[in-house]
Amino acid sequence: MPREIDLAAVKPYADHLGDGLVQMSFTLPVPYSLAARKAALELAAKMGFEEPEVVHYEQLTEGYTYFVMYGVCSQTIDFTALEGEGFNIEYMTEEEIERFAQAHVGRKIIVVGASTGSDTHSVGIDAMLNLKGYHGHHGLEGYRSFATYNLGSQVPNSTLLAKAIEVDADAILVSQTVTQQNLHVQNLTELVEMVEAEGRRREMILACGGPRVSNELAKELGFDAGFSKGTYPHHLATFIVRELAARVAARG
Amino acid sequence: MLLSRLTASVRRLAMVGLAKNTGKTEALAALLRELETEGRLIGVTSVGRDGEEHDVIDARIGKPRVRLPAGALVATTDALLSVSEIPHTVLENTGVRTPLGGVLIARLREPGTIEVAGPSGAEDVRAVSDAMLGHGAEQVLIDGAIDRRAASAPSVTDGLVMSTGAVLGSELEEVVARTRDAVDVVRLRELDDARVRALAELSAHGAGQSRSASVLVGAGYDALELAPRFVLSGDGREIEAALGSLPDARWLIVHGALPEGFVNDVLRARRAATGQLTLVVADSTRVFLSERGPAWYRAQGIEIRTLAPTRLEALTVNPVAPQSHRFDSMSLRAALGEAIADVPIFDVLDPDYGAGREREPAASLARELAD
Repeated sequence: MPREIDLAAVKPYADHLGDGLVQMSFTLPVPYSLAARKAALELAAKMGFEEPEVVHYEQLTEGYTYFVMYGVCSQTIDFTALEGEGFNIEYMTEEEIERFAQAHVGRKIIVVGASTGSDTHSVGIDAMLNLKGYHGHHGLEGYRSFATYNLGSQVPNSTLLAKAIEVDADAILVSQTVTQQNLHVQNLTELVEMVEAEGRRREMILACGGPRVSNELAKELGFDAGFSKGTYPHHLATFIVRELAARVAARG
Repeated sequence: MLLSRLTASVRRLAMVGLAKNTGKTEALAALLRELETEGRLIGVTSVGRDGEEHDVIDARIGKPRVRLPAGALVATTDALLSVSEIPHTVLENTGVRTPLGGVLIARLREPGTIEVAGPSGAEDVRAVSDAMLGHGAEQVLIDGAIDRRAASAPSVTDGLVMSTGAVLGSELEEVVARTRDAVDVVRLRELDDARVRALAELSAHGAGQSRSASVLVGAGYDALELAPRFVLSGDGREIEAALGSLPDARWLIVHGALPEGFVNDVLRARRAATGQLTLVVADSTRVFLSERGPAWYRAQGIEIRTLAPTRLEALTVNPVAPQSHRFDSMSLRAALGEAIADVPIFDVLDPDYGAGREREPAASLARELAD
């Protein structure tokens, strides 16, 4: 009989539920040696793993050693507390989005997107907006219910906002590689502050995306949603149509 | 003097940081401790998140928890209320949605630490603050996030505590200069010309694409309405043409955001011009200067004035830049005190804090250092 899963205290498992077993791999910039093996064991112990074990190690190149390790994780996560936090959006398919938009919005939804500031990466924005999309999911440009404007990369916030106002955008999408440098973060908050300064915060849905963008970060930045790795265009579209429908309903 | 005493008369108090890790939440926590001692009934909301355990960008940085007394009102999400495990009564569902869930207003029946995540948008912040005042709060504290200032607009809050710190620069002089520039923006002077103010109020009520169109005003109060989005998107040539069509322009009324790029374009277009041009904005939150402060632009002939002033109640400083460098708290406060007049400066974590010697010893130390 399978053991009962305690969702208030979940932990990794390998052989049987609750064993906490984790497999990990990493490289240390030290020569392949017994001392290197010892260093890996101590490092895993410092990470909090119990019974750390090196199951494989080899020289990667001169002066570098690669390790595969097992360790027992004693920490647990209360999954029940996370379920209620708005993470459990059920995504619609493209066809469902089209039907939902027609029923609740009834016109083209206008989205303006760009990589702002000094960010030269437009991959994220292109994947979300352009017809080509990625991994076989085409971008919002290919949806009947969306009209999109992709302004490209290194776009100043004022230019992006001017375009959004000009075309009466429902949503602004920015992608930004957030690092620990304040610059990127300030670039994102500046956009939010400019939308406020223009008196249009309630009219425009603001979404940001990037490798390190979470909903928590989006909340601090003042955006309505944050999207990270693993996001497909229909995830973004689901959020936009639902949020827009909620706003339309609230306005009456 | 304590922060709580200084800000006692401010019904809606905004806490704004100049960057992440300037100690804004520490200042909030200190203020909450003082208000609890005084037995004041308070409401708390945050435009970001407060009281989370770790920094959202750099998890190595621990954050102060937010402890609220029994009876306090809080605007936060349903999920964060449940996770706090503090017994509470829900007073209102605000209908505001955030990335972390919908926002409720609740009264805590017992004291405890809680993560606060209220509305982000300025209009919603005002509505939720007023709702908490309506539910009996004597004062509402609105904590900011990162460097966001919109909630400090005079249409949203009645006063402002600003936080600055070592994180703004590796040299003390840089921290002081950037703080002084930010304070100068917050304390931009109010427009005193009644006729220009009347023109500004008249032109604010446009509709559609001409909504918030900017207006150029000549010395004889003749007004020229500019193209839609002129200030946001206007390029150098358009600006030159507009200024050329009204050569005696004295004021430019800007209804929305005033980006620094535009101010620099105006500067270039007026190379040969004499006399001052005053840019009129609704309030300090509309001004986006990051390269230079208002004083520098004033010296170049461009003055910025507001229709509504912001009340800066106090500055708090965090002399520590996490995972980086630190300054001596007293030296930093002394240097800030020299550069910025007429505002109390606190370090709420300094042993000195609350001893009634915040500004005076700072000033005398500065004199000692100067000798």
